[in-house]
Amino acid sequence: MTAQTFFIGFFGVAAVWFGIVVFRTFSMVRSALALLFSQTALGAMFLSMQVEFLGVLQIMMMATEMTIMAIFMVMFMMDPGGLGKMDMTHQKRLSLAVGIVSFVAAVAVAVFIDWGPLASTAPDAAQQTVDLGLELLGRSMLIFETAGITILTSMIAAIAVAIQPLKRNDKS
Amino acid sequence: MITGARLGTLTGFRRLIASAMSHDLNVFLVPGPDIARAQGLDIESSGLQPVASPRHANVLLVMGPVTPALQEATAVIYAQMVRPRSLFVLGAQDLSSLPAADVEAELSQQGLIEGVNRLRRVFSESAFRPSISDFDVPILQIRIEYTCSMHPEIVQDEPGSCPRCGMFLIPREVQSMAEHRHMNHQKINTDAEIPVTFTHNHGDHQHDASMEYTCPMHPDVVQNEPGSCPRCGMNLEPRESQTESDHDHHHMDHADQGNMNMDHDDMGFMSMIDVTKDLPRSEDGLPMEWIDAPFGPFFPGLPGGLLLLLTLDGDAVARSETHCLSENTELVQSPSMEPPNFIERLTCVNPLSPIAYRLLACRALEHAAGIDISAETARARIGALERERIASHLGWLALFAQQTGFDWLMRRAASLQLKFLTAEFQQIKVLKPSVLALIKRLQQTPLLKSRTANIGQLMADIVSYGPVARAAGIDNDARNDDKICVALGFTAVKQIRNDVLARLQVRLDEITHTLMLIEAADAVVVPVSNTVGKISSSGEARVETPRGMAHLQLTLENGQVMTAQLDAPSTYHLNLINPMIDQQELGDALMAVNSLDLSPWEVLQ
Amino acid sequence: MTTVFILISLVFGAYLVAVIEDWALTGRFRLTAPVFSALALLGRESVLPRKLDRVFFEVAPVLLLLSAVLAVAVVPLSPDLIITDLATGALFINAALVYVLVALLMAGWGPDGAYAMIGGWRFLGQLIAYAMLIVMPLTAVVMRAESMLTTEIVVSQAGLWNIVYQPVGFVLFFIAAMALAFLPPFDLPTSKGDLAGGVEAEYSGVRLAVFRLGRLVLIITLAAATVIFYLGGWQGPWLPPWAWSAIKILVVTAVMLLGGRMLPRIREAHLLSWCWIFGIPLALLNIFLVGVLVLVFP
Repeated sequence: MTAQTFFIGFFGVAAVWFGIVVFRTFSMVRSALALLFSQTALGAMFLSMQVEFLGVLQIMMMATEMTIMAIFMVMFMMDPGGLGKMDMTHQKRLSLAVGIVSFVAAVAVAVFIDWGPLASTAPDAAQQTVDLGLELLGRSMLIFETAGITILTSMIAAIAVAIQPLKRNDKS
Repeated sequence: MITGARLGTLTGFRRLIASAMSHDLNVFLVPGPDIARAQGLDIESSGLQPVASPRHANVLLVMGPVTPALQEATAVIYAQMVRPRSLFVLGAQDLSSLPAADVEAELSQQGLIEGVNRLRRVFSESAFRPSISDFDVPILQIRIEYTCSMHPEIVQDEPGSCPRCGMFLIPREVQSMAEHRHMNHQKINTDAEIPVTFTHNHGDHQHDASMEYTCPMHPDVVQNEPGSCPRCGMNLEPRESQTESDHDHHHMDHADQGNMNMDHDDMGFMSMIDVTKDLPRSEDGLPMEWIDAPFGPFFPGLPGGLLLLLTLDGDAVARSETHCLSENTELVQSPSMEPPNFIERLTCVNPLSPIAYRLLACRALEHAAGIDISAETARARIGALERERIASHLGWLALFAQQTGFDWLMRRAASLQLKFLTAEFQQIKVLKPSVLALIKRLQQTPLLKSRTANIGQLMADIVSYGPVARAAGIDNDARNDDKICVALGFTAVKQIRNDVLARLQVRLDEITHTLMLIEAADAVVVPVSNTVGKISSSGEARVETPRGMAHLQLTLENGQVMTAQLDAPSTYHLNLINPMIDQQELGDALMAVNSLDLSPWEVLQ
Repeated sequence: MTTVFILISLVFGAYLVAVIEDWALTGRFRLTAPVFSALALLGRESVLPRKLDRVFFEVAPVLLLLSAVLAVAVVPLSPDLIITDLATGALFINAALVYVLVALLMAGWGPDGAYAMIGGWRFLGQLIAYAMLIVMPLTAVVMRAESMLTTEIVVSQAGLWNIVYQPVGFVLFFIAAMALAFLPPFDLPTSKGDLAGGVEAEYSGVRLAVFRLGRLVLIITLAAATVIFYLGGWQGPWLPPWAWSAIKILVVTAVMLLGGRMLPRIREAHLLSWCWIFGIPLALLNIFLVGVLVLVFP
């Protein structure tokens, strides 16, 4: 039990630390990859909490997403290497306010909601996957189907907006 | 003893490592693997392993002609190699900017093998030395220059502020001797004729109590008077305070500042799209950062001696500049040359096709002297010329395969080329089936057509020669005018589409056709010069080298060659590069450059 | 104990992959060449580029090696030879292998050099092409086994190997695995002809040795993954299970290394368009077909 608590705490602190690095560094790519490792630490936290599927999924998805974010940062931010040491932060007061409000809300949700009876042990990982699958195809099917269709629609819309009209003799 | 040893004493474990190194010799070839093959050297079978990056090499092998400009580049390559490193020179060279050669040998396969054995001994004995010296030459010096993040075309030697936006300039390292090749950064933004300064405009404003000045990038920096942002150095922009929300912007001079449109939304916030508005945009709309990257002169996929300075936008070519560092200046060493010496000189001009140039010199001299040669000799000469054409095309195939990562083709074409370089007539007949099998297998390779089709297209109205022209359907083959060639059954091989695939196809078809020509010629004899009497006249000749038609004009005075002018196809093909690779992806661009089969050696400055 | 054994066999496997790759490159079978070149690499200087991102440059080769070793941790060489039999094994392999991209991106950005940077971004483009084609065939494999445990997946192929049951999935997974390991014809990040070694070009000495070791382990990891997902793992007559695993892994490695050199390097634009226009619909079709088969033939 104590080993588990230790690891949850350790990965939690690591996630927060990497999150701080995101804003302290001048280099855009370091910023993006620090966010990546912050998410990986979160995934490791899930694994420490014995939520295996979600932990592995978090680790896998965030790596891909954050590296794609890295390339967008290189494209649209000047000085992606951070050599100019320019302060790129904006709207500090607003983001501080939003951050504090979200933190308070998250803590309130965690503490005050009735999450149901406490299980004495976490179910077996294979059993968790089965339960998750049944949940996805049962009670939560509408949510995930809607989310899936929404994502697909936004992908198609993004491509349609980004694509340039094909030239007449473009054979590529 | 190698001068490029690593610091340390040769004891115990290091001895083991040194002997391991002597068995693992990785070589970086100068001027390039194409020159090595053209001179008959089989690098791999001698025990050396060619590598693509000097950081992975421990032997620098210098063979073939190294001009002064290439010497500088060689010194840079040597400096990039990691210790322990060694210098292996084949043939006599004058390498003043490099340290003394560790092993020297003659320029032949024998010399290579024997030199490699010596090199192995040298490595296992002296890879580590207790005291070593540093390698420093002027070309390696660097200096700092200062540039603006938002306006990369502004470059200064001193720190300061950008004249366009006022931001602090950031330092950047460049080569200190690169003046003559330094790209003129001022040309990037073509509408930057008038440097825009803001400060004098602000003097016209009255200092209103409600006028505030803010930095476009840091809206939380607010001052009551104009100046520079303390965080980034940019000139502060006037912004009306909240009490006058209907204030008209027009008198704020924003309209005059063509390049610096600051779009403010309600928060006074400038989005990144607007910040990067001034940066040059490429055709596909993706605004990646522009980087200058040199490709060459010893780049593994390009002909040796060719320097391509590319400005890459992401991985698409935004701008390009070509240089041939293998400049040959004067053909005739003043004041005049004996005809045999002149023929030797011309033979050495282009190591990639020596026989064609030898034939060119012989024919020009014979034309000047009015000598006729027998039909049999002419046929034998044509046999030699055609044999070299096959060898040259095979060498081109090997380089093409190296650039596109096509390993089996590279090995096969290289081994066939080495055999063809010195093949006698009977041997050619024996080698014919292998060559035809290679061509057949190549044409059946699955992804090749999709890789090469529609890449490297050229306009129809450009000047080109040789296979490049024939791939576009233009037939300016010099052999059309040669009666003997035509009598042997020569016809020009042509294609219609003007892309890399067509050029590949033309060269493959030419190999097949040439094999037939050699058989008809029935003999292969390298051209030998005839004695020229003490005459004074001028002569000219045209020869279809493997790369296109070469034209030589010379004047004789009293039996001595006084002047000579050479017109080589690669000179014209160099100009085709820039329009051809504009906005192409890097791999496509390099393949297109390769498809022109340039020989930087025959380009005369 | 099993951990030590598997790690030792991993190193030996990496050695064999190096020998096979050397054979594919030079046409000669030299058993001592990888040993010599490893020793020689250790003895060379390891220089740092002038204006590098130190963190990225140092971490990249280690991360490459680490992600490959982590992926191997869930691969069973025989029913009891596995480091950790995670319940989400099939997904974990993919999660670990995604960090190959992060490693190559770091290696591309770190040295502050044009060749390396282009190699890194090219690999990101490659990822967008192959990422779906790794996960979707795996979904179909997991569907048949009705479990993500790698041992269960192998056991589910007792009657019929997956290569026969879902050949479309096998072809897609094999191609995507070669693209993940950036083997020819997908060697866009480390191409010698385009980028003079690309991502690998700025490394030397010990760091290069770690990078190359990481790459060899990655190749063998992907071959092992192909074997357990599609070729029945350790199953086979007469020989002990670990021997069958070893033989199958080596055969798959040889096919990957030798087959790819017969083709020119693929164009990135073509790779992306073919994977998304042909690959993903085929993968979806594969999932559908396997679903039908699983339901009809229980």
